[in-house]
Amino acid sequence: MSEAAKPAPRALTAPVPVGEVFQIAAEYERGGKLAEAERLLRHVLDAHPTQADSLHLMGIVVFRQGRRKEALEYMEGALRHGVDTPLYLRNICELYRTLWRHDEALVAAKRAVALAPSDPLCLHNLAIIHSERGEYDEALACAGAALAIDPRQPGAHFVRAEVLLTRGDLAQGWEEYEWRFQIGGAAPLIPPQVVRKDRPQWQGERLDGRTLLLIGDQGFGDVIQFSRYIPWAREHSGAGALCIGCGKEVGGLIRQLAPRATIFQKWDDCPPYAAYAALSGLPRLAGTRVETIPAPIPYLRADPARIAAWKERLGALVPRGFKRVGLVWAGRPAHNNDRNRSTSISTYKPLFDLPGIAFVALQKGPATPQAGGFFARAPLVNLGAEIHDYADTMAIMDNLDLIVSVDTSVVHLAGALGRPVWVMIPRAPDWRWLLQREDTPWYPSMRLFRQTRPNSWEDVVARIKAALAEHLAA
Amino acid sequence: MVVGSLPPAAASRHLVPLVERAIQAHRHGAPDTAEKLALEVLELAPDRPGALSVLYEIRKAQGNRTAAEALARRLVALDANNFPATNELALLLLNKGDLVEAEAHARNAVRIAPENAQSHNLMGMILTEAQRPQIGEYHYRRALELSGARDAILLANLAWNLKNQGRMEESRALYEESLAAAPTVRQTLLGWARMEEADRNFERAAELLDKLEAVAPDDVGMKVSRAVVLGRQKKPAEAVAVLDALASTREGTRLGPAELLEKGRLLDSLGDYAAAGQAFIEGKKLTRELSGQQYLDQHANQLLARLKGFFTQGRLKLLPRAGVRADVPQPLFILGFPRSGTTLVEQTLSAHPMISAGDELPLISDLTQMMPRMLNSPLAYPEALAELWMADQRDGLDRLRDNYLARARQMGVVRDDAPWFTDKMPLNETHLGLIALLFPASPLIHVIRHPLDVMVSAISNLFTHGFYCGHALETAATHYVRVMELVEHYRTEMSLKYLPVRYEDMIADQEATVRALLGFVGLDWHQGCLDFHENRRYARTASYAQVTEKLYDRSVGRWRHYRAVLEPAIPILAPTMEKLGYSSE
Repeated sequence: MSEAAKPAPRALTAPVPVGEVFQIAAEYERGGKLAEAERLLRHVLDAHPTQADSLHLMGIVVFRQGRRKEALEYMEGALRHGVDTPLYLRNICELYRTLWRHDEALVAAKRAVALAPSDPLCLHNLAIIHSERGEYDEALACAGAALAIDPRQPGAHFVRAEVLLTRGDLAQGWEEYEWRFQIGGAAPLIPPQVVRKDRPQWQGERLDGRTLLLIGDQGFGDVIQFSRYIPWAREHSGAGALCIGCGKEVGGLIRQLAPRATIFQKWDDCPPYAAYAALSGLPRLAGTRVETIPAPIPYLRADPARIAAWKERLGALVPRGFKRVGLVWAGRPAHNNDRNRSTSISTYKPLFDLPGIAFVALQKGPATPQAGGFFARAPLVNLGAEIHDYADTMAIMDNLDLIVSVDTSVVHLAGALGRPVWVMIPRAPDWRWLLQREDTPWYPSMRLFRQTRPNSWEDVVARIKAALAEHLAA
Repeated sequence: MVVGSLPPAAASRHLVPLVERAIQAHRHGAPDTAEKLALEVLELAPDRPGALSVLYEIRKAQGNRTAAEALARRLVALDANNFPATNELALLLLNKGDLVEAEAHARNAVRIAPENAQSHNLMGMILTEAQRPQIGEYHYRRALELSGARDAILLANLAWNLKNQGRMEESRALYEESLAAAPTVRQTLLGWARMEEADRNFERAAELLDKLEAVAPDDVGMKVSRAVVLGRQKKPAEAVAVLDALASTREGTRLGPAELLEKGRLLDSLGDYAAAGQAFIEGKKLTRELSGQQYLDQHANQLLARLKGFFTQGRLKLLPRAGVRADVPQPLFILGFPRSGTTLVEQTLSAHPMISAGDELPLISDLTQMMPRMLNSPLAYPEALAELWMADQRDGLDRLRDNYLARARQMGVVRDDAPWFTDKMPLNETHLGLIALLFPASPLIHVIRHPLDVMVSAISNLFTHGFYCGHALETAATHYVRVMELVEHYRTEMSLKYLPVRYEDMIADQEATVRALLGFVGLDWHQGCLDFHENRRYARTASYAQVTEKLYDRSVGRWRHYRAVLEPAIPILAPTMEKLGYSSE
């Protein structure tokens, strides 16, 4: 599914042999011109409905347009009408995985590996599906096998990183985690035009008064989580100054931990520096282990004036005497694991049967309108429209009794503030939540509610409901 | 109208004798001659008031309401101080149901003739119909004072007004006085019978109808009321027989719209749903035919689109909010489509000592009309709210809020010992954005009910809310969907103190639902709220008969009986039903 740019395909002005049409469609697909590719492939498939390569490519084209079920039909058609091709199997494995059909994904991935035992990509895909199924030993074995063939395959290293970190083996895990910037399609930590050989990646050495550049990489949640290391980095490096590049959304939060740092949003504004590090790389440099995770809670604080303003606003909007429970049901859709972690507001419906609770929607982004069309029994105050930034969210949290959320940046914010927060964790958890435990050393005020079945929040919400009822009774 | 009392226009003075002959002919019962002469005059001088007046009387007598209205309008336009014409025009508009314009002319009548009893009677009638009976009462009492006599009809009018305020004892006393003054006046007997029926004295109501029948055996209103009383006495078969007998006395055996709907409701209670559905459909069809009204589709669509366009996060961020007045009782809004259960919720809440009942207050809608004037804006609502960005209009919302509160007090719905009063004007949710700006701490209770059950109620009752959408099933469904989409928009774009309450929950688990409602308002539990049917307050709306009965689950899932009739509405409602968690299966 490469997106590498190719020369513009030539225009179709005269009858062209089917093979050539297919090639043009493939070029369109690689160039990201999906509608054009689809149009051409339709012509091919109208004439040759069982042509396996076209069915497979069509599967890729519609998958990339978000039509996963339709994509599966094409892919299955390709397998039905073609020979057992490792490429088809490798791709259909990924498709099954995104459609929560893990058993079929596993069968396809294994078949692909059987057919192409020396293809590290097939092994990589098998490692991913094992990891998602919680079969961590098998995942490590497959990733290891892939690396035996190609030791520099970033995907396999990253699978190892995730499995090791999830299992709490932070020492090995952090090392493998360094491969995250090598994965295909991953944005570089520093754009090539800014990189200079004389300004290396910081490895924990003393900088003796020189400037350390820290970069708020990954999502906002990661930035919030790892920003706790900023004071450590300043002290440990002996840097004379810090400059920190991050999204403007989190600039205000970072400022709390680095009051004198130069904080910038555009690389053009990046001041000269001696060495750089990603915020998400600081735990490795600090030698963090599960038992030594620093949790100087609260390391973020809401602005008292905003707390007071939101107290008044919520006083008008929330019925007197009701417990206030904040809700978030979706993360950023662009997150590569969003399918796994986000849900819809209707998932929370059973909670709305509990008396004496007013729910406060803290949701931002494209999932916000779900609040408008949700008609359950308890009051729902949708603050999405009035929340401008994380500073608002923090001040609101200070006025809530509890926050219930999926695994998104808001839970890190609540955790950093030391506010009570209950997090819904997918069956295949993000590595930072480790395995099985209901608490997390990263945030003492956080309680984890883990899925028991993939893609099913039903029992999670039932447990949250029971816990809420208990919480209310207490 | 007193014809011939109008000053002649100078240029057509030579036509005076002709006009005089027309007037005389009309007075002496020769309408054909009068019409011919009047038309002759108007051919030569189209603005001759005397001739216009004669022609008006003739057209009115012919039942040609459109022509009569046009003539009355011409007379008023020619002379803004023409009291008889203003009076006639206001009456015509009142009968037509155009209360907004009728009120404007009635107010003019009072301006022209502040000491004329009829001008105040007119205001009394129109404001009583416009659901502002407290204002109407003042004008009726002024009319009585000015007339210097206890006129039987005026007394009956005032009695009807008091009945609408739920002041049954005072109303009864006035009806008694009216009857004593004139024992056979239809208005008195019929109004009184309806009052007794509303007050659940069915036997007394039947006796009064007997009296009316004795003097007017063919009176249609009497027969319809008889059917209503029989229906409430749980004798639906007899009630249907009365209506059928009424139909057989008419040409083409056709009942009027209200009678057809009443018949449908009676057949419903008899379990004859096929015939009931037929009666409802016919009733609605006839309503459209006779009123000439239909859903103002484009107008509604445009307003709703403009509301969506105006009330957006970005704009709301820039708008101030009115402050919350701590010194006066505050409104509590019960929102919902007509016939969705708002009356039930109001009766329940107003049984609480901390809540007085405001009923359907037209005040929010009035504010939307008055807003451009109050904010000194060249734009209409909602765009007029843009004036709030001007330095001299920053307190505009406070002024609009105070207008609402002052008028609510004037209407007598505010009780000083109750910190809340209800406003259950249906479809106020159309203005949810404005309401939240004006009363940011007021609870917004939205009554939700299975949309198909709402449609059953919509086709079995007459209502004009919502741009006449209730005149046909499909338009009621369309408007329902549009308004729900608008509510969704407001709830997405604004932070609201909003609680949806399911009618079905009220039926299935009344106590839990009432507890949730009171909790939402911030009030302690009150047992009386469960016994709302014992709340003697008279609910003025079409639901009054239902809310005097204990909760009944017959009203849930009624749509199943009318599946076939409702079929055209199902595709329109389907997405909204799904969102609300209702099914049409």
